[in-house]
Amino acid sequence: MALLEVRDLVVQFHTHDGTVHAVNGVSLDVEEGETLGLVGESGCGKSVTNLAVMRLLPRPAGRIVGGQVRFEGIDLAGLPESQMRELRGRDIAMIFQDPMTSLNPVLTIEEQMVETIRAHRDVRQAEARERAIELLRMVGIPRPEARLKSFPHHFSGGMRQRVMIAMALALEPKLLIADEPTTALDVTIQAQVLELLQRLTTERGTAVILITHDLGVVAGMAHRINVMYAGFVVETGLTTELFAHPRHPYTVGLLHSIPRLDAEEGEPLIPIEGTPPDLRRPPVGCPFAPRCAWRLPACWEDNPALEPVLRGATVETTGPRATHRIACWNPPLPQEAAAGRPLREGFVPAPPPGGTLRAPSELEVPVEEDLVVFEPGGGPVTALPGAHELPEPPAGDGR
Amino acid sequence: MTARLPGTAERPETGAGDATASSRTATASAGRGADGHALLEVSDLRMYFPITEGILLERHVGDVRAVDGVSLEIRRGETLGLVGESGCGKSTTGRAITRLYRPTGGRIVFDGTDITRAEGEPLRRIRRRMQMIFQDPYSSLNPRMTAAGIVGEPLDIHAIGTKTERRERVRELFRIVGLDPDFGERYPHEFSGGQRQRIGVARSLAVNPDLIVADEPISALDVSIQAQIINLLERLQAQFGLTYLFIAHDLSVVRHISDRIAVMYLGRIVELAGTRELHAAPLHPYSVALLSAVPIPDPAVEARRRRVILRGDVPNPASPPPGCHFHTRCWLRERLGNPPECETVSPPLAEWRPRHFAACHFVDRLGEMPESAAPATSGVSRPPARETPPA
Ligand SMILES: Nc1ncnc2c1ncn2[C@@H]1O[C@H](COP(=O)(O)OP(=O)(O)OP(=O)(O)O)[C@@H](O)[C@H]1O
Ligand SMILES: Nc1ncnc2c1ncn2[C@@H]1O[C@H](COP(=O)(O)OP(=O)(O)OP(=O)(O)O)[C@@H](O)[C@H]1O
Ligand code: SF4
Ligand SMILES: [Mg+2]
Ligand SMILES: [Mg+2]
Repeated sequence: MALLEVRDLVVQFHTHDGTVHAVNGVSLDVEEGETLGLVGESGCGKSVTNLAVMRLLPRPAGRIVGGQVRFEGIDLAGLPESQMRELRGRDIAMIFQDPMTSLNPVLTIEEQMVETIRAHRDVRQAEARERAIELLRMVGIPRPEARLKSFPHHFSGGMRQRVMIAMALALEPKLLIADEPTTALDVTIQAQVLELLQRLTTERGTAVILITHDLGVVAGMAHRINVMYAGFVVETGLTTELFAHPRHPYTVGLLHSIPRLDAEEGEPLIPIEGTPPDLRRPPVGCPFAPRCAWRLPACWEDNPALEPVLRGATVETTGPRATHRIACWNPPLPQEAAAGRPLREGFVPAPPPGGTLRAPSELEVPVEEDLVVFEPGGGPVTALPGAHELPEPPAGDGR
Repeated sequence: MTARLPGTAERPETGAGDATASSRTATASAGRGADGHALLEVSDLRMYFPITEGILLERHVGDVRAVDGVSLEIRRGETLGLVGESGCGKSTTGRAITRLYRPTGGRIVFDGTDITRAEGEPLRRIRRRMQMIFQDPYSSLNPRMTAAGIVGEPLDIHAIGTKTERRERVRELFRIVGLDPDFGERYPHEFSGGQRQRIGVARSLAVNPDLIVADEPISALDVSIQAQIINLLERLQAQFGLTYLFIAHDLSVVRHISDRIAVMYLGRIVELAGTRELHAAPLHPYSVALLSAVPIPDPAVEARRRRVILRGDVPNPASPPPGCHFHTRCWLRERLGNPPECETVSPPLAEWRPRHFAACHFVDRLGEMPESAAPATSGVSRPPARETPPA
């Protein structure tokens, strides 16, 4: 039994223009002392997954429609709100991208820290204050005694995030959920904050879920990574394994579309064509299919399950031997993953069935030979470098 | 061995074999991705924003020195990257160069014409040749105009062509940036972020500019979309011989797209060098720290990397530290036992290696630092650098 177990979580938002399918069956486990990275681009459901775990979804729009969340074996859905409130902060703490959303602007740092500590621990004012000073010192706030009297707006962004970390770790939680903790910070300040976070959580054996869209950040911080796309986990594995042998087209695409500081000079970027899907439409087929260079006809119809890369392998969900799993009908071969595109002779991504599905981004037209070609009324037909023979575009419906 | 930056008022000869810039041609021959001539020369540019107090009688109590003596040169056809942390003055530099601001001091020479104080018709003519692309594709486009209207607006402003010609040009611009011209009648909110940025790019190209100042053009975009825009900008540069000032805080992106890079800190350029040179051997302690702080998406690399972690925050540009602006956070100064010069004397941007400028008193002591302080590389052997100009 892992510390946190999320099974088949489904979250939807009911809005005036339809149901948003934000999280579509996410499973994840986190073990004590483990750092799990959650990566994926904006809107893929990283924050919503964790808000659901914490039972902090905005009501009434947000609903957990299915699945279970267990923390230390306890089903969190069944807990009364009072116990859930106890658990938040004490056992599971959260830090957000913008510390100002969780710091109260009209209270001093001292008032907030003392209040947090005393809400969960039976200690006197003076003792809580001592603990607050100790925590501020621990996160590297100079002259903590003096800074206790400051208000949050007296601090810079980096300092506020340190204060947040101090408050989050005040009660020695077992799990820390850090949602884009450094996204708003400058890179030199990010380095400070990440170093601090890593040191403190390692020392205490705190489990961490680190949410970020920056693959560089998880590469240095996480033991394991879940790659999310459109509310699904599409690839999961050990950090080393996932970077060395990415097997999902989306992961491969991400790795090739960001410039690396240590890339070889002149190495071109291979963009992922199209745009992320509109989550107001219920998912059909593989969510990545419209943008995928590897897609097969089946990809448009059936959503692949998250399965071990080595078919039939027993699945370990946590720890240093966690199983590398992907949700894909046609995983890139290792040499394709390295090249960032399919290399199979004459391979062309399957056009949408009957041309009825919309192209990934119907407003964009090809600008380079190796981009997706759009035929009026038809689906995208990709001209891959090396694939000179284009099949006939399927008969369109005249759209 | 010190000399001033090409473009500064005085240009003494240097000791370096390859002359800095005692003449324009000398500099020109240095260009990596350029045809040779300086399109833009900026010297000692200053842009101060007054801080006032009082409601009825506003008293001038000080200045935010957003840009405090910037000198740089951009050669025709090249991309100069401008990097630095939030608030260091990158956008202000870009806006002053395109004369959206009236500079407090210094000189801006565009294609041989001093435009520092240009007004009225001459300024309008110059503006046609310099365009800006902004960070936020959501707020930088007028929500009440159609996409075609937005893209064609500069043509209207500058009264270029007949109505039919303009409409045809707009359709062409749509195709150039990879948008379907038939969607010109849609409004910005009907496009995705990446598509909106394409609209912004199309608009900037409308009047055939020479220089494009791109201010964080991809920062607001999804990771998977950023490469689309980077590749688009690169293709357009090759196609139309554009010159870019590319502003960003992400060093990986800047390194990818730039021929040369200027690193800014608190209103000043602290290092200026060819992209390869800056990356292989940064000369300013701030650049070293900045390079080492950028996360690299490779756990094997990250595991053996040692970071230079800077202490504290960037000081307030309203009261920058005396001497070297960086001294309050400088790790090199600390390791050298806090020599007094750092606090008292502002180090000039000097040419320490051919065409490699840095503003630090102790560049020559950087080499004594432990190997681990140098930014890590993947260990991948580097191919000979590309020598062909992009244009
Ligand atoms: N309150 C809400 N009402 C309606 N839809 C919502 C709400 N909150 C989130 N969503 C939708 O749920 C989906 C998942 O959002 P989520 O915030 O989890 O994304 P994310 O992966 O955290 O992205 P980011 O990197 O931008 O933070 C998105 O499509 C978003 O639009
Ligand atoms: N119009 C203005 N009035 C007053 N101060 C300004 C103005 N514009 C910029 N500043 C200040 O000048 C400094 C430099 O700002 P600038 O926007 O040029 O920085 P930047 O490097 O572009 O930062 P970022 O990465 O956040 O965009 C900042 O301290 C900023 O607050
Ligand atoms: S190959 Fe198919 S299943 Fe795999 S990512 Fe592409 S579209 Fe999805
Ligand atoms: Mg989020
Ligand atoms: Mg800016």
